[in-house]
Amino acid sequence: MTATYHDPCNYGRKAEKQFGHGFFDEPRWILDQCMEHWVDLHPTKGDQFCCGGGGGAMTTGYHAERIRYGRQKMAQIRATRAEMLVVPCHSCHGQMNSIKAEYDLAGLKVKYLWELVADCLIL
Amino acid sequence: MEIIEMDQLNHGRFETWPFSHNHCLSCGLCSSSCPASGMDEFDPRKLVRMVGLGMAEQVVESRWPWICTMCAKCGHVCPMEIDIPGMVRRIRGLRDREKIPGILRKGLEAALKTGNNLSLPKADFIFILEDVAAEIADEQPEFEGLTVPVDKEGATILTTIHNKLVNTHTNDLKHWWKIFHAAQEDWTVPSDNWEGTNWGLFTGDDDAMRTLTGRIVENMEKLKAKTLLWPE
Ligand code: SF4
Ligand code: SF4
Repeated sequence: MTATYHDPCNYGRKAEKQFGHGFFDEPRWILDQCMEHWVDLHPTKGDQFCCGGGGGAMTTGYHAERIRYGRQKMAQIRATRAEMLVVPCHSCHGQMNSIKAEYDLAGLKVKYLWELVADCLIL
Repeated sequence: MEIIEMDQLNHGRFETWPFSHNHCLSCGLCSSSCPASGMDEFDPRKLVRMVGLGMAEQVVESRWPWICTMCAKCGHVCPMEIDIPGMVRRIRGLRDREKIPGILRKGLEAALKTGNNLSLPKADFIFILEDVAAEIADEQPEFEGLTVPVDKEGATILTTIHNKLVNTHTNDLKHWWKIFHAAQEDWTVPSDNWEGTNWGLFTGDDDAMRTLTGRIVENMEKLKAKTLLWPE
């Protein structure tokens, strides 16, 4: 299965600006441990597009705007042909699941980064 | 179209705001990069200019600051390093609290009053946690003996909980717990003020944000936890 990874604005670009460190490499290291093969989105890291679920967008009730906002994110994902999207953020997770069918990506599996780790545990 | 008389505007109104908006070059890079540009005739360059012109009512009453996700893509490309998301959050804070869109105000009020956005009583919260823990062991025998240590003193990790995980998405509680179990981690969940989201952030309410964050710090101190896991 081909997977890809989305950098949430808060853990990446915004953390880099506000706290001096963006968490770009840490999740990628985890992905490398869990999977043989995954592809990055383009643009990536600090240049990522927001998924459209940030800033409380899941709670304002502006659904049509939120769906339209996500079009660039969905185009990025489609370009990788990934069947699974890994995210480490509750808002991104909710937004991607909520809009994927609108962009003909209903089959996309959206996974928390920590869910991927839990799936890889062998006891 | 409404005609605005330039000499009627109070240009100095937001002069003290720390977002450098008066340094704008009108280059438009922000608007080109913004996924929300074009919706409701919004674009960040226009917003920056309106703030520079002191057009408070128009920006505060518009949907723009709520359609923007404060993602900071614009600020990332801006040659003048103007903090547009910071400015948007400040504008959100000027909105009459009664007019905050959606469920944001209700959730925030519930959190301030009860310690979580759902007003979920403590007994129900603990019941859900224990129920989900039992479910994991039922589903996968290798997790037999998995329990949720509530209010355990001196744990290595204290974790907050996103309200949706004890509401509509209880299955998603399981991932972290499985990792903790496998790693034999010493962890805990507080029974009060466990809410991980902070809607003071989204509503531009600094006081609320401080109160909610302060409660998490209190939990850390009270339970003498060493590390905070705050995935929200
Ligand atoms: S922070 Fe707001 S204005 Fe800036 S790019 Fe993101 S959505 Fe657009
Ligand atoms: S990118 Fe910066 S300088 Fe250019 S128009 Fe936007 S706010 Fe102004």
